Amino acid sequence: MSPLAAVLAVVGLVAVTTVVGLVWKARTGRVTTRGRDDAEIVTPADVGADGSFGEKATLLQFSTEFCAYCPATRRLLGGLADRTEGVEHVDVDLTHSPELAQRFNVLQTPTTLLLDGRGAVRARIGGAPRPAELEASLAEILNTPGDDRVAA
Amino acid sequence: MSQPDLRPLPGTQGIDPRGPRFSAGITAVLLAVDIVLGLVGLQLAAWILLVVIAVLFLWGAVAGVQRHPYGALYRAALRPRLAPPAELEDPAPPTFAQLVGLIITGLGVVLGIWFPVIVVVAAALAFVAAFLNSVFGYCLGCQIYLLLVRAGLIRRGTGAAA
Repeated sequence: MSPLAAVLAVVGLVAVTTVVGLVWKARTGRVTTRGRDDAEIVTPADVGADGSFGEKATLLQFSTEFCAYCPATRRLLGGLADRTEGVEHVDVDLTHSPELAQRFNVLQTPTTLLLDGRGAVRARIGGAPRPAELEASLAEILNTPGDDRVAA
Repeated sequence: MSQPDLRPLPGTQGIDPRGPRFSAGITAVLLAVDIVLGLVGLQLAAWILLVVIAVLFLWGAVAGVQRHPYGALYRAALRPRLAPPAELEDPAPPTFAQLVGLIITGLGVVLGIWFPVIVVVAAALAFVAAFLNSVFGYCLGCQIYLLLVRAGLIRRGTGAAA
C-alpha cells in the first residue's frame, strides 16, 4: 500500500471510531422506562442485599471493581436516596456474582434499575446516570406508585 | 452528561483521572503509527513497535497505572500546568484496561510472527479502545469486564484471564 493510502486508512479508522464514540456518549446514562403492569418484581433476597428496599422506590445499582464510573454513581444515587423520603439506594457488586449479571442481563456497569414500592422494575439506566433524567424518572415512579392508586 | 465525580474506593490510593486518558492518547498515536508502518509494508518495524507497545501495556498491567512511565510523564510535564483534579479515581479500572491492551497486542505480537497482517489487525483493535478511552472517557472495565465474565473468559473472582 502506498504511504498516502495507508495514512488515509488510518484517517478512516479515526473517523469511524469517532462516530462510535459519539453514539456511545449520546446513549450512555439514558433512562429506559418500562410499563408498570408487566414489570418484573425484584426482592432484596434476589440480589443478596443485606438491607431492605425503599418503601416507595429503590435505586438498585450494579457495579464491579473495574468500573471507573461506579463510585460517582454510588454517590449520586446515595445522595438522591438520602434526600428523598421512602427511597433507598442498594449497590450490588457483580464482580463475584456473574449469575446476577446473567439474570438481570447486565452487560455494562454501572447499570441502575429503578424499582417502585412493590420492587417492580420501572426503569433502567446503562452507564453513569444523567442526574436530571434520573430525578425525573424517580419522580414519575413516586407519582405513579404501581398499585391500584392512580396518580393525580 | 454531567462531569463525572470520581473518587477511589476507601483504602486505595487515588489517581488523577486525566492521567490514564493522557496515557491512552500517547498509546493511540503510537498504534496509529504502527498501523501505517504495517500497511506500507514495513512489517518488521511494525512488529517491533507493537512489541514496544505490548511491553508498555505489560508494565501498566503488572505495576499498575500509577507506576507506568506515561503516568510519571503526566505528573512531571502536564499535571503542574493543570488545575487540581476535581476528584481522584481508583486505579483498578485503568489497570484492567492495560491488561486488555496487553492481551490484544500480545496476541498480535505472537501471531504476527507468522501472519504479519495480524499485527495491523491487533494494532487497529487496540487503537479503537485507546482512542475511545482518551477522547471520550470510555471505560473498558465498565463495558467489557462483565461481557468477558459472562463469556467465561475470566474466572469469577480472580480477575485473571483464564
